[in-house]
Amino acid sequence: MPVEDVPVPKDPADSLAAVVALRLLADRLEDAAVEQAMRAGWSWPDVAEALGITRQAVHKKHAKRLIAAGVALRRRQ
Amino acid sequence: MSAIDHYINAIMEWGAAEAREDGSAATEAHHLLLAMAADEGTAAHRVLAAAGLGRQAIRDALDREFEHSLSAVGVSVASFDLPKPAPAPEPPKFGASARLAIERGYAAATGKKDLRPAHLLLGVLDTEIGTVPRALALAGLDRVDLMARAREALAGNSW
Repeated sequence: MPVEDVPVPKDPADSLAAVVALRLLADRLEDAAVEQAMRAGWSWPDVAEALGITRQAVHKKHAKRLIAAGVALRRRQ
Repeated sequence: MSAIDHYINAIMEWGAAEAREDGSAATEAHHLLLAMAADEGTAAHRVLAAAGLGRQAIRDALDREFEHSLSAVGVSVASFDLPKPAPAPEPPKFGASARLAIERGYAAATGKKDLRPAHLLLGVLDTEIGTVPRALALAGLDRVDLMARAREALAGNSW
């Protein structure tokens, strides 16, 4: 929707709950997007660069989960 | 271990499984509520069931709260169509809201010997802030009335 149509919550409880919900949504999106990239053959350094975090951080956060899910990971170069 | 220790362990483990299932980094109070609704044979379960709050009904209420909270800032969860990611293999952390709920549950009882599942349900319900009260309100449920029913069950000495 256009930016000017985005409502601004009047109640602080709604604003704070939106932060919580956005964090959960971002976590889910990150899990899904990294998995999608790795299944498509992206390398850890490329995924890290796209996310703006270190290779170590992305590996630490996602490697175990993707290995457990049977995703064929490219070797680090 | 006493029966209440077993119960606490069970809802923490079940709650962790719920957290992992919905992609949460931590087990939160609402995950404990889902666990309580799934664990039969307790007053906590009976109070929730009598209000129509089975595990799936709570899950639906939480999903609605999630969508409602996102819509407040103009985000539609329906616009994201990525496949469901594989769950994390390691258990999630124990989150701040779950910790508070357990502490409030202990505080609702007069000592550890008195502590029963319905006290822990009170601990999850006894807040006006956060995901649980918001989800219950959106589902049209009276949180204060649920707490009164949990207290009644406790007064009747039920487990």
